[in-house]
Amino acid sequence: MAETILKVDTVTKTFGGLHAVENVSFNIDIGEIVGLIGPNGAGKTTLFNVISGYYAPSKGNVYFMGEDVSGLPPYKLAIKGIGRTFQVVKPFPGLSVLDNVVIASLSRHPRRRDAEAHAWEVMKFTGLADRAQILAGSLTLAGRKRLEITKAMALEPSLILLDEVVAGLNPTEADQTIELINKIREQGKTILIVEHIMHVIMNLSDRVVVLNFGSKIAEGKPEEVAHDPAVMKAYLGEEEQ
Amino acid sequence: MGTYIKGSTIKLFALIFVALLLLPLIFRNPFSLRIATEALMWIGLAISWDVIGGYTGRVNFGHGAFFGIGAYITAILMMNWGWAFLPTLPLAGFGAGLVAFIIGFPTLRLMGAYFAIAMWSLALAFQQLALLMNITGGPDGMRLPTFLNPEFFFYLMLVMVMGTFVLLWYLMECASFGFKVRSIREDESGAMALGLNPTRIKIQAFVLSAVPAGLIGGIYAYWVSYIDPPSVFGDIITDQAIVMTILGGMGTLIGPAIGAVILFAFKTVFWAYLSDYQVLYLIILGVVIALTVFFLPNGVWGTINSYLDHRKSKKNDSLIS
Repeated sequence: MAETILKVDTVTKTFGGLHAVENVSFNIDIGEIVGLIGPNGAGKTTLFNVISGYYAPSKGNVYFMGEDVSGLPPYKLAIKGIGRTFQVVKPFPGLSVLDNVVIASLSRHPRRRDAEAHAWEVMKFTGLADRAQILAGSLTLAGRKRLEITKAMALEPSLILLDEVVAGLNPTEADQTIELINKIREQGKTILIVEHIMHVIMNLSDRVVVLNFGSKIAEGKPEEVAHDPAVMKAYLGEEEQ
Repeated sequence: MGTYIKGSTIKLFALIFVALLLLPLIFRNPFSLRIATEALMWIGLAISWDVIGGYTGRVNFGHGAFFGIGAYITAILMMNWGWAFLPTLPLAGFGAGLVAFIIGFPTLRLMGAYFAIAMWSLALAFQQLALLMNITGGPDGMRLPTFLNPEFFFYLMLVMVMGTFVLLWYLMECASFGFKVRSIREDESGAMALGLNPTRIKIQAFVLSAVPAGLIGGIYAYWVSYIDPPSVFGDIITDQAIVMTILGGMGTLIGPAIGAVILFAFKTVFWAYLSDYQVLYLIILGVVIALTVFFLPNGVWGTINSYLDHRKSKKNDSLIS
């Protein structure tokens, strides 16, 4: 039995009267890729924000490597080893790609010289090294999504949360990103990935967690989940009798 | 962005420093020396403003408060407690830094215009405070012992401003701190995901911006030997520092220094030859800022810099092809 790296324990997040995430529990083991799917508004990004510390859970707890980290601020979780990307990308637009990645490297490599050396390594790994001197704001969408992954990787996380890093890319770019995610897995990272594009999730994930209206409706191997009646209902609606 | 500390940069700084050291030998009359001292003072105020305004991206309309706090600390310690001048300076800097530290927690949570307004009203509050209290002499201000030694003040200001410049150069352009403050300017919540604590970085930058202003305020008080609330807490101090920085180029150190020299030279000439039209000065300041924002959004230095970069990359391109 593999060791659990992340434990989401009966997490609820409400905004006023709206239950964005309700009573969701699941575990992620070290080295796994877990896909988080669900229709629009199912609470996937909210759950991401709870796990990465951007929201404190209203109820329930998040355990990272056995430690209760619920309600810790994002920068503390980042130091502990949770890296994330943003669905709406957040580059530092006025700085070069290199400077973006150097900043991401600073918490593990406080000295600038070391951070810069590390940034080049990570950029070579993710394939951004040839664009190092370009302003981040002038990258294409594919480039900015790749920069998100590069920055999350520069943090040297043990768990990496990828929020729709494939959505909006053309098929070639999408394939390159999938290849990159596989490379990241080979490095021994644990990955939680949110994605709308089904074949991405189905091909990459070891396990899938399905949310609908904030609640978990299914969990299991991709092929099992795909044939789960509750999941089919959530995505396709009720069959007419 | 910036470079590692290069030998050539150090040599250039040393050269400028020596040239400035020799300045009093050339300008023998006190008037010229006074002008040079004040020019240095404005360079100091502009570069320290730029730490929070340009590098960290929080436009501070209350920078003058730190200057005034420094000035009053020196004046109060000397006049009410009989201190000698030099020992008051560290306290002037410390006082300004402490105020920045305390008010930074609530105000730095604000973005854009809200931070500007909060800091502007804070500076006004300090001016009112100085008007009302007994210890500050109220509206009568404070008269300090006069020390008529222009060289002393020139050298003191020179050491203070050059010291500030070199320290800021190191922190902002060479060390990792410069990267951190830029990330806050660019995207605060994105920076958090990378393990950076925005509150902490903003407070550090704010204190770093306030301390030099307080020190310069302390020197100013003894130098001009008379201060009152409008002269050290007035809007004009903040406004000029901001115009100088924007004119020269925000988010750089050389830019504000250039802007300070240009604007101060203009002001001096204007005051000397067109003193009948003093009212026009503020209007001209406004026009300068509007024109700069329209035509030189990166300021004088930013524009020169991008022109140089452009030429360099062109040269490289032609080498490749």
